[in-house]
Amino acid sequence: MNASVTTPSEELIVPARRSWVRTFDHIGFIATILTAAGAVIWAFPLYWGLVTSLKPDADVVKGSIVLYPSPFTLEAYTHALFQTSMGVWYVNSLITSVATTIIVLIMAAGAGYAISQLNFPGRRILWWMILASFMVPIQALIVTHFVLLSQFHLINTLAGVVGPQLIAPVTVIIYKQFFDSVPRELREAAVVDGANEFQLLFRIYLPVNWGITTALAIITFIAAWNNFLWPFLAVTSQDKMNVTVGITQVYDAFGVHYARDLATAILGGLPVAVVYLIFQRRVTQAIMLSAGIKG
Amino acid sequence: MMLKSKRNELLAAAVLMAPFVIIYGVLFVYPTLRMVQLSFTNAPLIGDGKFVGLDNFIRLSRDRLFSTAVWDTIYFVLLSVIPSTIFGLIIALGVNRLKGWVQSVVLACFFLPYILPVSLVYRIWAWMLDKDFGIAQYAIAPFNGGVNISIFRTIPLFMPAVGLITVWWLIGFNVLLFIAGLRNISKELYEASALDGAGRWVQFTHITWPLIWPVTVLVLTIQFILQLKIFDQVYLFSDGGRADATMVMVQYIYKQAFQQNHGGLGAAASLVLFLVIVIFSVLQFQLLKTRGGEK
Amino acid sequence: MIRGLLRTAAAATALLTISVFSAAQAADTLVWWDFLGGGDGVRMKALIDEFNKEHAGKIQIEATTLDWGTPFYTKVQTSTAVGQGPDIMTYHESRIPLGISTGSLSVITPEEMAASEIKASDFEPADWKAAQDADGKQYAIPLDIHSAILYYNKTLLKQAGLLGDDGKPKGFDGIANWDAALAKLTANGVSGLTFPTADNASTWRVFYTLLNQEDGVFFKDGKFLDGDNLDKATTAIAEMQKWVKNGWTPKQTEYAGSIAQFTSGKAAMMINGVWEVPTMVDLQKKGQLFDWGAIQIPTLYAHAATWADSHSFAIPDRKGNPLTPAKRKEVLDTIHWFNEHSLEWAGGGHLPAFNPVRDSDAFKNLKPNSDYASLAATAVFDPVTPLAGVASPVYDAAGNYAMPAVNGEMDPADAASQMRDDLQGQVQ
Repeated sequence: MNASVTTPSEELIVPARRSWVRTFDHIGFIATILTAAGAVIWAFPLYWGLVTSLKPDADVVKGSIVLYPSPFTLEAYTHALFQTSMGVWYVNSLITSVATTIIVLIMAAGAGYAISQLNFPGRRILWWMILASFMVPIQALIVTHFVLLSQFHLINTLAGVVGPQLIAPVTVIIYKQFFDSVPRELREAAVVDGANEFQLLFRIYLPVNWGITTALAIITFIAAWNNFLWPFLAVTSQDKMNVTVGITQVYDAFGVHYARDLATAILGGLPVAVVYLIFQRRVTQAIMLSAGIKG
Repeated sequence: MMLKSKRNELLAAAVLMAPFVIIYGVLFVYPTLRMVQLSFTNAPLIGDGKFVGLDNFIRLSRDRLFSTAVWDTIYFVLLSVIPSTIFGLIIALGVNRLKGWVQSVVLACFFLPYILPVSLVYRIWAWMLDKDFGIAQYAIAPFNGGVNISIFRTIPLFMPAVGLITVWWLIGFNVLLFIAGLRNISKELYEASALDGAGRWVQFTHITWPLIWPVTVLVLTIQFILQLKIFDQVYLFSDGGRADATMVMVQYIYKQAFQQNHGGLGAAASLVLFLVIVIFSVLQFQLLKTRGGEK
Repeated sequence: MIRGLLRTAAAATALLTISVFSAAQAADTLVWWDFLGGGDGVRMKALIDEFNKEHAGKIQIEATTLDWGTPFYTKVQTSTAVGQGPDIMTYHESRIPLGISTGSLSVITPEEMAASEIKASDFEPADWKAAQDADGKQYAIPLDIHSAILYYNKTLLKQAGLLGDDGKPKGFDGIANWDAALAKLTANGVSGLTFPTADNASTWRVFYTLLNQEDGVFFKDGKFLDGDNLDKATTAIAEMQKWVKNGWTPKQTEYAGSIAQFTSGKAAMMINGVWEVPTMVDLQKKGQLFDWGAIQIPTLYAHAATWADSHSFAIPDRKGNPLTPAKRKEVLDTIHWFNEHSLEWAGGGHLPAFNPVRDSDAFKNLKPNSDYASLAATAVFDPVTPLAGVASPVYDAAGNYAMPAVNGEMDPADAASQMRDDLQGQVQ
């Protein structure tokens, strides 16, 4: 629409626009209320779980709705931290998640750089293989992963938990795309200064894309922390379990306690929730990148 | 000089690609080939078996449990993918109207569940829906003649409930993608159409929907492929109950290989799942490519 | 909380360090796995603590409790297959044929048993043989015999005129009497009987009890529910379905929920394992429970019979990583110690498998165990096949067919025939 056409008819349009604005506000108000109500509904289960975990056992099974913990107690949490193997599971989760993150990033940055910037035989085939592996369901490989890792005596070890989680083709794809868009001039200037490929990668390409590395690191970490199926299969003893498996597989010797179950589960989710709340923007960016949308 | 730089480039490529090639070779290519080989044997989980030709596949085609697993998987995909796409779009439209910190808070409410581990989601909802003490029973019991009902032991309710929980859990991802899509629609289009007197519904059907459609397709296909690989929630919620009636494909693989010690049959079922997902992924890839071509 | 976390982490590190250097020290660690929750878990934990105190500096048990049933046995099976797993574990005798077929259990030789003073003569022959294969090789040492019993609320039974002068229920035997009693007890929001109708193991226990009271045979000579046994199975399932249909038994009840229904007075009677006896004893001690009793499940059909199983100890057959002979000796000594101390375990409602303890006066005076000790004479163990036992295809089938039928979602005859076909199809 261009100005010369609108000007003469502007006076005619204004009243219509006014009434439109009014209905807009009306509907908009309802929409806002509904969205807010939806958000409350969505957050409620988490809130209710948290409240329950802060109540004394007897209150939990009273069968009446009390929306706040009164009386308030941390018994379930102190129990989870001191009477269970939660501490060991935390350490295991931390080790495996951090190891997965570091190895995946090193591997992906290297491969992404080589495929993006270097010319070598087999480059196209490798690139196609990465794209293809993007489609392959890791869940279909549980049987052979178990067989393979048992041959290496890695079942029930932390290394065995990390292994199959290293298949993360999407990080290679994202690195390649970002390295592709680094201006040629930067590279050429550095090459003239006598930089070799490794210096190029570590002094130019990675620092230029530092934000991407952070974003990928965060979601790789969250994914590894949350992974259930493989750690569940690969670990057989309590002392090697990570948090997500431990809290569902190991039973408290003292019967069923809803508050304690919830408290252990909440402790299991706490680290990722904190990471998300701190790095909200990076997390959303990384998720969109992995879905193929540049954020 | 030229030759030397060529050699350096090759050397750099070899060093940078090595971690990737080794890890993918060992943990991806080999297990995939091994899965195919195992699927033609009667091997236990650990140990060798005899070549049995297509026996495993014939057995699968006749196994009632396997057909249950296939149908339940399809059923679950429908129950989770369609609602999470529709509600994802509705929530995104609602959230996109908001501004400032209100938007951040509301978005966080919808998104937080997505980054939490499945074990926490399981505990929270097992507690919400607990037959005797679950708060949701106050809303459910009136529909059951005032009697509390065990959601996860009532077969017709199992999949819808797990589907709903999955929608609650993972919708944040869809919302995020839709919001990104909505932000990419130029504001001028709405302003211009408003000047033409277009109402909200006309704006939605003529501007928003056509422009958000590609994102919708993306969300649908990503979720579709993701949910075909469902295991965690279904396994956790069916524990101790009637797992066979609500079995899904990955769970069938797990049961055959890890519980019944039929490694060969498990590998055959894995191969079926593998092929199904690869076929759908190729279709998705083609779809995205043609879409990209239209742009 | 963070400080607590750090402390836990420090403790974990310390533990790791200790276990690394433990080889050089005197105390040997026995890795122990069990599936014992609830009151059983409490008692076993106390026993383990006592053992560790008594063996300080020599042997220390490091116990892990995994989720009962399928999760526990899946972990045992996959870990032994790759040479991992515990040094000692609890194992259901009902599952020993299945455990042998998957190669999870290692043979305990007569010489090893003799060296640790474990004697067959100290056990009931049936119980002892249940831990053997067809060739008489021993795979486990029994710890107890446990069964299902009928718990009852004396106040409610008295109101209904169903309590005899001896404090025990009267007039329960025979289907007609039993049904009439349930109908009478179901009133004013109270159900006559509860059992975990949403739990496959509990459903199996009640079903198998009724089937055997009818002289039904679940499995024989490679055939499941052969001939008229199918009709007997249908009768048993139909009876259980009737309890639920008539509102005498609450449907879709989880394990914990069923206990809550009884202890809160919402159900007059409960069928559950003897292992819930301590739950009642403890509640009563705290003054939170009515006057209660427990008896053998009444005879509804031809003759008395009750499902039974046995907790035993076994050594896993860790492929390529077997226990050293010295370690095996230690494990067997430990098993013997637990049998000698099984009076405390009997506090969990169980009947000790170890004759010297079961014959002792101390056990004979233990209440309420003595009230239902009679069931031992008519106990029926699960069928001997690799398809039966805890976390077996038979348990799965009970959950997949009998359970929906009991809850009114399936016809009893269909449930019985589908259960037969499913299991028969798995016979190799």
